[in-house]
Order: sequence, then C-alpha cells, then structure tokens
Amino acid sequence: MGTKAGSILSERMRFTLSCYALLLPSVLLLSIFVYIPVLWAFSKSLYQFEVGGESEFIGLRNFGEILWRDPIIWPSLLNMAIFTVIAVCIRLSIPVVVAKLIYSLPTERGRYYFRLAFLTPIVVPGVAVQLIWGGLIYADQGLLNELLQRVGLPQLAHGWLSDPRTALIACAMVGFPFVGGFEVLIYYAGLANIPQSVNEAALLEGCTGVRKFFMIDVPMIMSQLKLILILTIIGGVQGFEALFILTRGGPGFRTMVPGLWMYFNAFSFQRMGYACAIGVCLFLIIFTLTLLNIRYFRSTEELEGVR
Amino acid sequence: MKHVSFRSVLRAASLAVILAVSGWALLPPASDRETPGSGRRTYGDEVRFVIRVSPGQQYMPGSVPFGIGDPLRGLSDVIEDFERRFPDTRIEVLTVPGVREYLVSLLSSGQAPDIINVNVEDVWIDVQKNWYVPLDPFLEAPNEFIREQGAPDAPGYHQWWDMFKYQAISRGKAAPDGKNYCLSYDMVETGVFYNKTIFQEAGVDVPKDWDEFMVMLKKLKDAGHTPLLMHSELFNDWCTDLFFDQLYYAILPGIDLYQDPSREPYLQGYLDDFEISFLFRQGFFTKDDPRYMEVWRIMKELRQYTNQNIATVDLVREFVTRKAAMVWNGSWFLYRLKADRHLGFDWGVFYLPQFTKNTSPYASETPMCVIGGAAVQFEVTNSAVSDTPPDMPFEERMATSERLKRVIQFLQFLCVPEQYARIVNEYECFLPNIVGVPVAPALKPFEEILERRYTTTKWVFTFDLKFAEIQRRLIELYLNGGISLDGFMDWQTGNIAYGVDNLFFRKKFDVDQLQRAWEEKSPLRAGMEGLPHGD
Repeated sequence: MGTKAGSILSERMRFTLSCYALLLPSVLLLSIFVYIPVLWAFSKSLYQFEVGGESEFIGLRNFGEILWRDPIIWPSLLNMAIFTVIAVCIRLSIPVVVAKLIYSLPTERGRYYFRLAFLTPIVVPGVAVQLIWGGLIYADQGLLNELLQRVGLPQLAHGWLSDPRTALIACAMVGFPFVGGFEVLIYYAGLANIPQSVNEAALLEGCTGVRKFFMIDVPMIMSQLKLILILTIIGGVQGFEALFILTRGGPGFRTMVPGLWMYFNAFSFQRMGYACAIGVCLFLIIFTLTLLNIRYFRSTEELEGVR
Repeated sequence: MKHVSFRSVLRAASLAVILAVSGWALLPPASDRETPGSGRRTYGDEVRFVIRVSPGQQYMPGSVPFGIGDPLRGLSDVIEDFERRFPDTRIEVLTVPGVREYLVSLLSSGQAPDIINVNVEDVWIDVQKNWYVPLDPFLEAPNEFIREQGAPDAPGYHQWWDMFKYQAISRGKAAPDGKNYCLSYDMVETGVFYNKTIFQEAGVDVPKDWDEFMVMLKKLKDAGHTPLLMHSELFNDWCTDLFFDQLYYAILPGIDLYQDPSREPYLQGYLDDFEISFLFRQGFFTKDDPRYMEVWRIMKELRQYTNQNIATVDLVREFVTRKAAMVWNGSWFLYRLKADRHLGFDWGVFYLPQFTKNTSPYASETPMCVIGGAAVQFEVTNSAVSDTPPDMPFEERMATSERLKRVIQFLQFLCVPEQYARIVNEYECFLPNIVGVPVAPALKPFEEILERRYTTTKWVFTFDLKFAEIQRRLIELYLNGGISLDGFMDWQTGNIAYGVDNLFFRKKFDVDQLQRAWEEKSPLRAGMEGLPHGD
C-alpha cells in the first residue's frame, strides 16, 4: 500500500516537476527580457543617467520634474486622455453594431463572407496604415484635400496634420470608419455564445430589435466589452507608434503623448533616468485603471442569472 | 485512393506560389549582392581588418541620386584599389539610418561603424564620452600616400592638414574642447533656386536686399504662385541662424567673450555654447532682448509667403512641377535639376539678400553669411580602437591600436586627389575640399557663395538634443499660428534656461573668465543700442 502510495506520489511529483521544468525556460526568458528590465527601470528612475555618461543618484527628483517642472507632461497626459476616451467610445460602439449586423444576417454563408471581409484588413501592418493615412489621405495633395477641392470647398483644404487646430482630431480619426476586424470578431464570438434559449425567450416576450440589443445582447457580451475596454485603455496609455509615424507629437506638442515623450527622452535626449521615471508613472496609471476596471466593471459571468 | 479535388490542387498551388514569391522577396537586392564593399560578409584568415564605413547617402555605392542616371561606383572603385593595396583589409560600406537614436545605441555599445558621416556639431555634445577619436595627431603628421610619391612640395607631404583647400573651414570644425574630430573632404552651400519662367511672367528679378525680397514674394503670391518652398527644418536650422547673424553681427565685438586662435580665422566671433549660456544669464535671448524678438517677427513675416504645409512638404516635387517659384535648398539639388531632361523651364540660383534698417532697426547691414560649409563629415568612432582593452586610457588605446592605424590609412588614401576626384565629381553635389581636385563647373555659383563669412552660431547644435527638439517644435507651432510670439518666447526662455543648466551640469566652464571678458568689453557695449537691461 505504502509502496503504491509512494509510487503515485512520486508519479505526481514527477508530473509536477516536469511541468515546472517545461515552464522554466519561458519564465527565465520572461524574467530576463521583461521583469529584470522593469525592475532596472524602476531603479534607474531614481538616477540622472545619460547613455554613455555618468550616472548620479538623485532620489525622487525625476518624479518632481514630471509633476512640477516639465511643461510637456501635463499637456501630453491630456492628449493621451483625449485619444483614449475617443478610442474607448469608438471601440465599444461601432464594432459592436457591425458585429450585431453580421450576426443578424439570415444565412451562414453571408455571415462567413462578411466576417472575412471585416477581418482581412487585420493583415495590413499598423505602420502601413499610418503611412497611408499620413502620406495619401492627409497629405497636401492627398485624398481629403482633393475631395474638398472637387466638392467646391477648397478653402477647407489644408495641412491636416501640420495645422495645430486639426492635428489632434486628424490623428484620432485615423482608421475611419473604425470597424476593426479584431473587435468585430470578439463581439461576434460573444453574440454567437448567447444561449439560444435566451434569444427564444426574448422573442416570446416580444423583446426584439434595438430593445433586445440593449437589454439582452449588450449585457450578455459584457466580458468582451470589458476585455476590449482594458486593451484599449492599455493601448491608449502605452501606445505612441501611430503618433510617432504621423506627427512625431507635433505640431509643437499638440499630439504629444507621455509614451512618445518617454521615447524622445530615452533615445533622442539620452535622458534614460527621466524616461524610466515617465515609464514608472505610466505603469502606475495603467495599473490603477485596470484595478478600477476589474473592481467596478462586472463581466457577464458576474451578472447574476443571465446564463 | 483518396480523391484529390481540383480545388485542393489549386489551393496547394497557390500556397506554393505564395511561398516562392515570399522567399524571392526575402533575397537581398541585386545591388547589394554585386556591389563590392557593401553588406556584411565573412572572410578568410588572411583578412586581419574589416573596417566598416558609413559614408552617407551621397556617395553610397549602388545608389542612384534622385533616381536619375547610373548607380554610383566612385567609392567602391577607390575601396577596390585600397583592398588591392592592403590585402589583409576589407572595407564594408553600410548605411546607418540618419536616426540619432540608432547611432547613440551603436556608439554606447561600441558597435558603430569605424567611420561615420555625422554633422560634427552633433558629435561635440558627446566628445567627453570617448565615443570619437580626436584626429589632430594624424592631421599634423604626413599623409603616407603623398609622402611615398616623393614630391616634397605636394600638399600632405609634411602635414596631412595641408591637403585641405578650405583651411579655415576645416580647422574651424574643431570642437569646443579644441580637438578636431572631423574630416571634411568636401563642402556644401545653400542657395535659393528659382524658376526663371515664373520670374519673367511675374515681372520680378533677383532681389538686392531683404525689403526687395519681401516685395518680390508678395508679387509672386498675388500672381497665384507659392513664392518660396520651405520645410520646417529649414526655418529651425538655416533660417534661425541667418536671421540671428543679421541682427547680432554688429554687436559681436561687445558680446563675443572667447576667441579660440585655432577656430577664429574661419569662425570669426562664433558664439560657443558657454558664451550663449553666459549671455543668456545677462538677459540676452529673452523677451528683454529686442534683437532676439526680431528674429522671430521677421521669420513669421517670411512664413506667409511659403508653402502651406511646412511639416511634410516635398520640396523637390513642388518645385519641379512648377507649383512654386523658388525653393531654398543645398547644392545637391543642382544635380536634380540639371539631370532632369523633362524639366521644361530655366532656373537660376541666388543667395538670400541682407536685412536693411528698414527690415529691422537692429539690422547689422552686412551681407548674409553662410550656414553650410563642410558637407560629408567623417568621424572615426570608438570601434576603430576595439582591438585594445576597453579599460585602458583612451589616449593609450589610440597610440597602440593597429586597427585605428589602418582606419587612418584608409582615410588618407581616400584623401589623395586622384582618388577623391573619382568620388566627389561623380555627379554635381558637393565642392571638393582637397587641393588638386577640380570643381565641377556647374557648382561654381556655390563656390562663390562659400567665400562668405560663416554664421555667428548654430542654434540647433548649441545645447543638447532636448533643447533642439523643443525649439524645432516651438518654431513649427509658432509659424503655424498655434502659439503667439509672447507664448513662444515664454516657452523658448524656459527651453534655453534648461539648456544652460544642463550644459553647466555636463561640462565645466570657467565662468570667472567669461565674467572678466564681459566686464572688459563693457566700454564696447556702451554705444550699442537695444541691449537687454539697457546694458
């Protein structure tokens, strides 16, 4: 008996150990390339540290500069908030409607082709999309200005990205009509996952059309909405590639965001310590927003009695 | 046997085609495979030195300037000759993106090419990090390839320095620490290229002074043309320095606090970073300094006659498609116009005219200076001493490095007139700076412009990169109506204050010496008008 139990235990132990052994390389690589650099960034945020130059411990002075002395940080945070709010509004609305429209198509073949049509643009790299918008649509002789000329509104044609009054909104409008395939697919999966019994019950109760969409469908895809919300917030706080390509944060600082300012400080100005401090602040912002999201935004599973 | 449908065959065939095309797309370009000296290769044991050179786009073997004419091969021909002469050496030519971030990463890790082409002012801010090799000891020694020709009268026989035609410019490129990190084998200058046909139609001629220039710009605008094409970078760099010089040149005797004997013959009163810093603390370059305010006022006045979008404008396209009457550009643009058989209009070049007292009461009334000078600027990086222990003092590494010797030999070989003529005169782009290399006839107008005095300072390179980036953005915002002159000055004053503080943190200066010079020059400033604080 004891031998059998020992053998089972050792088998379990072997299984457990093999699991850990298989996980080890990933954890090791993750530590080297993610966790150690993050810890290093936390520590370097306390230094005046220039690439190739001397490093000097300055305590919380970098954070003091962020809070009180850097005139670019606060406008850039405001820009970030504007971009993030716009992105959240767009990604939590238009793709849901599109997904619902596709889901409502009468034939599976129709649904398949529309899903394919909306998903295909995902293969176009983000950088290419930004270049297309910057070089072909917003350019001086670009699509938008040409269109305005043709419809008799030449006075409205101008440098969309170089005009301080329009740069921010022009950047936010990149990607119009905002039917990102990824979001559509996620929402579609959520809609497809609504039990048939719920749909039938709604039909029997006379809950159809727009009413059903808001009373049944939206609550039932809350998990998907929450996921997209978190991803959009993280992307909004972290992301700067699009703005780097389109405007490099200009004209002036009109489209500057903290992530891009961090990049400039690190690699253009060689102020690594200060850039690390900005990174730490961004981490804290994302962490707080994610906690708030988890705490106050309930997912489908947490909504009582819907399944 | 399983039935194979036509559809599956079609799918498999499509996949095979896609894979084949993808594989083909991954192959390096034919030019990379065939051009000697390009790309990174592996070599046998007989090769002791693999020297990597990033010469910049202008001389890159295999490239076609402006997409017109044959691929360049001048540099690769010279490299072939050098490799024949030194079989234990291979020269790899590579492109380093003109992105400073990339270069800084390479330099800090000791992975940069041995020879790079960067504006030397951009190098100055990092010289204390031992990222670059000071070249003075080599320049003061003979060029061994001239020496072996056995003609003691030939420039370079006694000192390599003697081979440079524009001595003052070449020596004037010394860093503020007094050392020379740069070899300028050719020169560049800027000019205003104009469309003669549009000028004739609008009834305008080359202006003699700034006021005439402004009248001319207005006429051209009224005639429906974009008068002058400018990019925001030009406003930030060339325009700022020229306007600054026009307004400050007359008061230089009272504010130029330090004269470096090795740089003075060319730079003539150049205001170095520490002088600018000291002057800022005396109230210059603030709202209290009317000259500084005038720089931006006049720039805004010019802006109304330039292209609408200064951030992403394609200067070449707009000019050759006759959408604009003029474009301010470098001598390299000449080749683009000259080689274009379908251009369909005559063009000329003139230089920007001087300010008058009518332009500004603070105008120095001196001819517009130049802001070009050295074109391709070769620097030797810390990679050249990579065969020595990194913990050894840098001077010792320089003295003992075999690799550095070979790098210098390559640069000296390149400098031999018959060698460099093959590179610089392959197409009309730059003016040779090597004695004995003829100037391409088409570049003669630029040779005349180059005779002018050099600018008082280069603001873009005065402080660190953060200062330059913020200034560029502020100018762009100000010129596009996103901020008032008052608002611009609030920002700019903070920006200069930051630059000054950072400069004093990074480099130690003798402020007392500057203070003494400031006090000594007090009588000279007594008669000058418009100085801050009524100095």
